[in-house]
Amino acid sequence: MTYISSLQNIHKHGTFGDYENKNENELLKLKEVKNLIIYQIVKYKNSTADVSKMNLDGLRLPDPLKVKHNSSTRILWMGPDNWLVISDKKNIFDTFKNDFTDKDFAITDLSHSRTIIEVEGNLAREVIKKGSPLNINELGEGDCSNSVFHAITITLDFISDNPQVIRVLALRSFGESLHHSLTDACLEFGFKSV
Amino acid sequence: MLHINCPFCGLRAQKEFAYGGDATVKRPEINREVSKEEWDNFVYMRKSPRGKHIELWHHISGCRQWFKVQRDTATHEIFKTAKMSEEIV
Ligand SMILES: [Zn+2]
Repeated sequence: MTYISSLQNIHKHGTFGDYENKNENELLKLKEVKNLIIYQIVKYKNSTADVSKMNLDGLRLPDPLKVKHNSSTRILWMGPDNWLVISDKKNIFDTFKNDFTDKDFAITDLSHSRTIIEVEGNLAREVIKKGSPLNINELGEGDCSNSVFHAITITLDFISDNPQVIRVLALRSFGESLHHSLTDACLEFGFKSV
Repeated sequence: MLHINCPFCGLRAQKEFAYGGDATVKRPEINREVSKEEWDNFVYMRKSPRGKHIELWHHISGCRQWFKVQRDTATHEIFKTAKMSEEIV
């Protein structure tokens, strides 16, 4: 599945900001993550399904503020009985639709409704700190959280600590605004847009 | 800025929350004749106390859950937060 990126007209490749006299490894990298399949799973309030035993692409559903992942799929905790499944498997829905029946779960395809920007580099946390009130030093690989970035509601997915990689998800219609805020926050450090 | 302890996510900045008003207001029972005065009281009339107050907050930019907060309206001190299914005594 491909779609027209919400950042198509603004995400220009190149090196920007205060990058001169800096080693390339020191620079932040900013990348749009595209063409992923995203499903929201919500367990109905009156459901008695035991999610602790359930399996999705070989993964258990994560605990609060945590992520479970394998090489192609990430499951993020979004709130009580609410998860976000992000995968590069085009048929991911077929792999879990028989277990997550519509009697107990509301499943919504959100693939087209999110913009994802990945920030990579030693200063990735510093960039997020500039716009978000989260106590981000306490969070790392395997954590996720919803918060705000310059008044835009976002989801943070902490992909890796070494190197530091943080994915920022926002509603697609906020994509341009988020991109503007993130690139603006990156300027003082110098960044490479890839 | 207040720091509010979401019962689901932990301590977060007020920026992530929306205020939801008095948590002690009870809707008139269903399937019963409700007088106009009773309905007016439910919809509009609030006490606006100075001091301890139990109010609703929504973690709108977080887990999107409603919950209760016991807060002093004069000092802004927060004493307790609780899930909707829990009582604050
Ligand atoms: Zn919360």
